[in-house]
Amino acid sequence: MRLRVQFYSYFKELAGCAETEELLPAGGTVEGLLQQLYGRFPRLARLERSTLVAVGVEYQGRDYVLKDGDEVSLFPPVQGG
Amino acid sequence: MRRHLTLTNRPIDEAALLSQRQMSETAGAVVSFVGVVRGQEEGRPISGLEYEAFARMAEHQFERLFDELEKRWPVESVRLIHRLGAVKVGEAALWVEVMAPHRAEAFAACQRLIDELKRFVPIWKKPISKG
Repeated sequence: MRLRVQFYSYFKELAGCAETEELLPAGGTVEGLLQQLYGRFPRLARLERSTLVAVGVEYQGRDYVLKDGDEVSLFPPVQGG
Repeated sequence: MRRHLTLTNRPIDEAALLSQRQMSETAGAVVSFVGVVRGQEEGRPISGLEYEAFARMAEHQFERLFDELEKRWPVESVRLIHRLGAVKVGEAALWVEVMAPHRAEAFAACQRLIDELKRFVPIWKKPISKG
């Protein structure tokens, strides 16, 4: 599966980019994607517990099953208002 | 329920927003809130905050919050403006207005909207140091 991954807030600085593409085996979950990403972006691994994940425009949990073409966004706790 | 959402890099013009207020025969209460950038962030003096949003998701999450307000209270109208980009200390970063028949639901809905946006809407702030 080909996934588009976007980083927001200081995750962009930690990753060194605002977006990237990641290939994941079919049936892979958000958790599987994260572990793969942490291999490429180890500075994000330290923030795993506070990392929020969205697929499209909806929050999803770690066991969400991804589909080819999904747009996955990773970011720290939000601070609006 | 009338709803109006704006994410903007432009300063919030409260006078214009007030002049655009649309009253109704049934709205007896108008509650509005302004969130202002303070001069300190985590104990350190700042000159402002830089706001960033995942805009498409922020808009969607705001609409979900508006849906919740509409279900829970007889709100007639919600208007919300959130600044993006650099906002100076003393300037408004957030402006919210809720209109409802009575004050109880107007206050409750406004409080709920702000509490929940702080939990769910993908917007972040970065301090801009002084000097």
